[in-house]
Amino acid sequence: MAEKLWEKQQKRKWLQLLRSGDHQAFAEFIDKYKETVFLCCRRLGLREDEAEDVASETFLAAYNGLSRYGGRAELSTWLWGIAYRQAVSYLRKKRRHWQLEAELDERIADSKQQGPAAAVQSREIETIVWEVVERLPRFWAMAVILHYREEKEISDIAKIMQIKENTVKTYLFRGRERLKEMLASAFEEDY
Amino acid sequence: MDKLNEDKFGEMLGRALQSHSEPVPAGFTERMLSRIEQAEQQRILARVVWQERLALAGCIAAGIIAIVAVVVFPDRIAGVLRSIAGGFTGQGKALVEKMTPTVDIEAVRSEWQFYTVLVLLLGFAVYSLVDMFVGDRLRTA
Repeated sequence: MAEKLWEKQQKRKWLQLLRSGDHQAFAEFIDKYKETVFLCCRRLGLREDEAEDVASETFLAAYNGLSRYGGRAELSTWLWGIAYRQAVSYLRKKRRHWQLEAELDERIADSKQQGPAAAVQSREIETIVWEVVERLPRFWAMAVILHYREEKEISDIAKIMQIKENTVKTYLFRGRERLKEMLASAFEEDY
Repeated sequence: MDKLNEDKFGEMLGRALQSHSEPVPAGFTERMLSRIEQAEQQRILARVVWQERLALAGCIAAGIIAIVAVVVFPDRIAGVLRSIAGGFTGQGKALVEKMTPTVDIEAVRSEWQFYTVLVLLLGFAVYSLVDMFVGDRLRTA
């Protein structure tokens, strides 16, 4: 109990430092969340150099917006929201919508035809699962990652992805079903 | 049974996904911090430029107001100038008299344009002085 209280106080102090523009605190903030931001950018289909640009824009927007961060949502949820919006807006600027849709369809077709077994041979479960998740359509993969990796609630995912909660549930259901199919075929071929 | 399997699948999925670490380009934090510093410097510079423009606009506006005032209200301006020339003692005395509770509100109201310009100029002078002495400290604090 006392430990939790201490942690809460430390978190509040850190947040105050962040809001005041303390560079040391912001360096810690970047170190803590950079992997998450890159994960978001990469899963939405950005190349490495594009991901770095968008991640920079995300942290810059976070730095400028920290003074307005009310603390209602968790800091990680708030940052996920910024990263997601930045990445999607980058994709929209770069490619036309129909291209995005076409890519999405291609990825669905790929994931149906290829099956992970062709690419992965007896490897660790974690690696196989990750590779399979990467083959999911990007929005399904994003919902799955946010729910199972980041342990976000459906309502938080809806806020981050700016979609309805029912759509999140659909993405999760379809993503999970597709994962089961793909993982089953991967393990059948492995064992 | 199905629920149990669903839960187990969810747990396995969570564990597997959490064990993944996304590669981040080396030196990203340092590059990001230097970018933020640059952005801050640019913001300060933009603010200084904006202040300079405001000061210039203020000077030009004050000049124009003075010219317009001389053209439109020549008698009043002449009176003001005469009263200034009348000496600081007299001015001070008049000011003290005006500041006493017996100040004639009607007289002040009838010359509202003059007092508005005076208050604006005084306000801008105070703002400029404060900014000159403590502005940098406040911005970098």
